[in-house]
Amino acid sequence: MIDVSRPEPAVWLRGLTKKYGPATVVDGLDLEIPRGSTFGLIGPNGAGKSTTLKMMMGMLSIDAGSATVLGVDVSADPTAVKRRVGYVPEIHSIYRWMRVGEVIGFVRSFYPKWNAGLCADLLDLFELDPKKKVKQLSKGMLAKLALLVAVSPEPELLVLDEPMSGLDPIVREEFLDGVLRSMCDSERTVLFSSHTIDDIQRLADTVGLLYQGRLLVHSPVDDLLTRTKRIRAVLHDGVLPRWLPETTIWQRVQRREWLLTVGDFSEDLLPRLRGENSVHDVEVQDLSLEDVFKDYVKGRKGAA
Amino acid sequence: MRIDPKSHVPVFRQIVEGLQSAIAAGIYRSGEVLPSVRVLAIDLQVNPNTVQRAYEELERQEVIEARRGVGKFVARNGPRSALGQAEVAVREAFERGVDLACDADLSKTRIRELFNDVLSQQTEASRAQR
Repeated sequence: MIDVSRPEPAVWLRGLTKKYGPATVVDGLDLEIPRGSTFGLIGPNGAGKSTTLKMMMGMLSIDAGSATVLGVDVSADPTAVKRRVGYVPEIHSIYRWMRVGEVIGFVRSFYPKWNAGLCADLLDLFELDPKKKVKQLSKGMLAKLALLVAVSPEPELLVLDEPMSGLDPIVREEFLDGVLRSMCDSERTVLFSSHTIDDIQRLADTVGLLYQGRLLVHSPVDDLLTRTKRIRAVLHDGVLPRWLPETTIWQRVQRREWLLTVGDFSEDLLPRLRGENSVHDVEVQDLSLEDVFKDYVKGRKGAA
Repeated sequence: MRIDPKSHVPVFRQIVEGLQSAIAAGIYRSGEVLPSVRVLAIDLQVNPNTVQRAYEELERQEVIEARRGVGKFVARNGPRSALGQAEVAVREAFERGVDLACDADLSKTRIRELFNDVLSQQTEASRAQR
């Protein structure tokens, strides 16, 4: 049960599961995203990111568990969720026969609220011509139109599925600009999926690493960078490591070099590491976010 | 100021350090207004919450001050505080360097020689630039 003294999270997933035949794509996922935060879901292709977002949006059936979005149980009332969430899918299926201006007018008619100022700003920033037919738009223009109609109703939650994959650098920058503008204008919860570190670093305050349908990591981005460290030690001849810190994510011994990545590093760890193992020249290295994620995935593969 | 998403330094820290050095270098002077959270977030292409947190950290360090409803300003002693904070970062970098040197069993004399080498190289390079 959720503590009543706390505001309800924007997204609350409990044991969310999706199976395709024998394959479990999303495997008992538990996730809570507090209101006002920006959550980045990262993971390799096929990790279950898109499937998770689609279940949350009521676009895919849930096989087990539940999803509560803005206090609404998605299975019970998917329409209510769609009305309150701005969603930019990976593949933009906007009414191709309409003109840009018609799409905007049409979408606008579904929502009680519409930020005309933001809509006009984005139209201008994105250089979208209201007279142009949707089917004549490039992939980048289509992505920008999808974002514009998703944020103009000022949704409490914005969900972006791989929003910037396949966009050229200039369009990417404009798209990012649009997302940031809409984030600045009101306190909004944003949930996005991505497979690039750059998006996570720029947008997310909290990150979840999804791998084989499970969350391997769920942490504020800053903590992950400051607390995950790689330790390199040189082993004395003919010995192997005897003691491992509890929060070891991944380790490798090659010749006399012992590498290990720990999830909750503190300086106090080093005397114990030296004391319990026959090592010398212990060195602590900082890791980039990319290395952190790689080590988590390698660690999981090694454990399997 | 640029944000490097590949760095091991959190984006929040990068913004704090970037503003410290901008203030220490006199790009923003005492009493001058700083860009709003919105402007800086869009300019650097980062989450506005992160920019807000960086500003709060600089306020805590008394490098900047917030005037309610008006904006963020460089504090009277801001440039000096920023310089002090920049020195802290430099000192930490030196500590890491010295640690590395000790691990490699270098003598104190050798460490000083190397340091002087790097220093004179840098000053020559910056002189050549001017």
